[in-house]
Amino acid sequence: MSIVSDTYHLFIRALKKLVRNPILLFFSLLQPIIFLVLFTQLFSRFVETGLFPAGVTYLEYATPGILLQNGFSSALQSGTSIVDELNSGMLEKMLVTPVNRSAILLGRLVTDAFRVGVQSSIILILAYILGFNVATGAGGIVLAIIIVAFFGLAWSGISLAIGLRTRSAETVFGIGGVLTFPLLFMSTALVPVKAMPTWMADVSSFNPISFAVNAVRDLSLPSAFSGATIASAFVVIGAIAIVTLGATLYLFRKVVK
Amino acid sequence: MPEIVTVEDLVEVYSDGTKAVNGISFSVNDGEFFGFLGPNGAGKSTTIKVLTTLLKKTSGKVVIAGNDVDKRAEAIRKVIGVQSQDTVIDQDLTGEENMMLQGHLHGMGGEALKARVKELLSLVGLSDVAGRRAGHYSGGMKKRLDLASALVHSPKLLFLDEPTTGLDPQSRAAIWEYLSKLNKEQGITIFLTTQYMEEADKLCQRLFIIDKGQVVASGTPESLKREVGADSITMTLEDGAAASETKDRAKQALGGIPGVGNIIDSDGGLTVYAKNAGLIIPDIVRTFDSNKIRLTSVSFASPTLDDVFLQHTGRRIRPEELEAKSQTFQRFGAARRPARQ
Ligand SMILES: Nc1ncnc2c1ncn2[C@@H]1O[C@H](COP(=O)(O)OP(=O)(O)O)[C@@H](O)[C@H]1O
Ligand SMILES: [Mg+2]
Repeated sequence: MSIVSDTYHLFIRALKKLVRNPILLFFSLLQPIIFLVLFTQLFSRFVETGLFPAGVTYLEYATPGILLQNGFSSALQSGTSIVDELNSGMLEKMLVTPVNRSAILLGRLVTDAFRVGVQSSIILILAYILGFNVATGAGGIVLAIIIVAFFGLAWSGISLAIGLRTRSAETVFGIGGVLTFPLLFMSTALVPVKAMPTWMADVSSFNPISFAVNAVRDLSLPSAFSGATIASAFVVIGAIAIVTLGATLYLFRKVVK
Repeated sequence: MPEIVTVEDLVEVYSDGTKAVNGISFSVNDGEFFGFLGPNGAGKSTTIKVLTTLLKKTSGKVVIAGNDVDKRAEAIRKVIGVQSQDTVIDQDLTGEENMMLQGHLHGMGGEALKARVKELLSLVGLSDVAGRRAGHYSGGMKKRLDLASALVHSPKLLFLDEPTTGLDPQSRAAIWEYLSKLNKEQGITIFLTTQYMEEADKLCQRLFIIDKGQVVASGTPESLKREVGADSITMTLEDGAAASETKDRAKQALGGIPGVGNIIDSDGGLTVYAKNAGLIIPDIVRTFDSNKIRLTSVSFASPTLDDVFLQHTGRRIRPEELEAKSQTFQRFGAARRPARQ
């Protein structure tokens, strides 16, 4: 099966590039780490307002949000890699070989998901040191990372589509940057719906980030676990993934035709 | 000899309306070293992109190794090797990893691939640096790695788009040597494009001179030069307020000299063709002197491929500009890769 082995080889190549540019990995982790350390300090007494679930520290509340924020913004940079392949001529060099066309895209997506998984693990370790715990244990941790990685995958489709369409890394960065904060703040990532003005609460209840955050929170907070939240998160993320990856595939076919 | 490339009436119009290739027909025989010689913008890269399945042709017919490019692109990709005009290597991978990746993408693997990679790296003289990151290689080393990576799957047909543009003379000579070897010893058919007439002259058994998407002349380098039929004499005149008037008088004066053929006015100066240049130059100097036309230089040479181009188009190929540009880039480190032409 050339699609499997081609995807594998392109995944390994992307991993090597990732490991050999540790500075990029470092910078993309900087923001969630700052959030983790500073936000949880800054807002630590907010839980006393009674708007948060009872008996939960702000660190416990916000860590799932920070995980998703990282997955989201990291995935939104994914398109820069395809712009690089396009502009460096690497894509053409691949396209004159019999390599499976879908594998070029799949290799990219698997790498993105993997990277988000690694970053999430690092954030979780740091959060653990600060006092965070996942109530549902090892299985819950794995499932939480899968949700975040899957969530990232869905959004890297958008980023790849923008990259393929505009062929400009600046545009990918720009659009990623513009999307991140409004979507993050208008979700339940850092603050519960109860604490928001009504209009924001309305937006938040439709925000896909909220669905994913609520699912991770279900796994991490004590006594909150509900299969329904997790299932609905997968449905929402899956729907986004179908749309964004569909658009990516369409644009990619146009480039490689 | 069977044909490995057949192209009939190829036309390529880009989406912005640029007619890059305007009705070119040619064929390449199995085992041949074939070339396209032409200036920047002639349509060389566009032709290669169509032949290597990267670009859909507007019209015409292209058959590579018995496969129609529209119907059996997949089969074509298995038998061709391509080195594009811009050097394309992964800067983050080592030389060896670049080669291995290329092999994997061709469905190769295992010990056979490792052995092949080793052999090719040694062929292009990169064995010592195989484990170093390709981003740290010099321009010439990158080109050689790119060439080697086009050979991993032992293609029977190799497309090379300006493989030596921007290289220093030593690197260029080294590449010429590998290419001759590949063609002569391994029987690989090579389709090369170039802006350098010496390169076309030295390497190609048969070539097409291309300009503005069309064929200007074709044949063996020898037959093309023979067509010029005479030595070329090139003169430059003193610049000044009346430069163009002086030039007109000079042309008139030249016309009156017996034995002077075609007079061509190009940006490189005035060029005339004559059977016996050594005997005619004194006549030219004398005539100019009596007409008060000041010469700043005069030189003569046996015909080159550039003269073929000049006779057909009235312009010179002029790759010098390009060389000067890419050297400047390297000196200031302004670009990692030469700009797309
Ligand atoms: N992608 C493109 N879109 C529009 N015009 C192009 C494109 N690529 C090349 N051209 C134009 O087509 C002509 C032939 O270009 P090219 O094939 O690159 O020439 P060469 O390789 O001989 O220098 C030039 O006029 C060039 O500007
Ligand atoms: Mg070109």
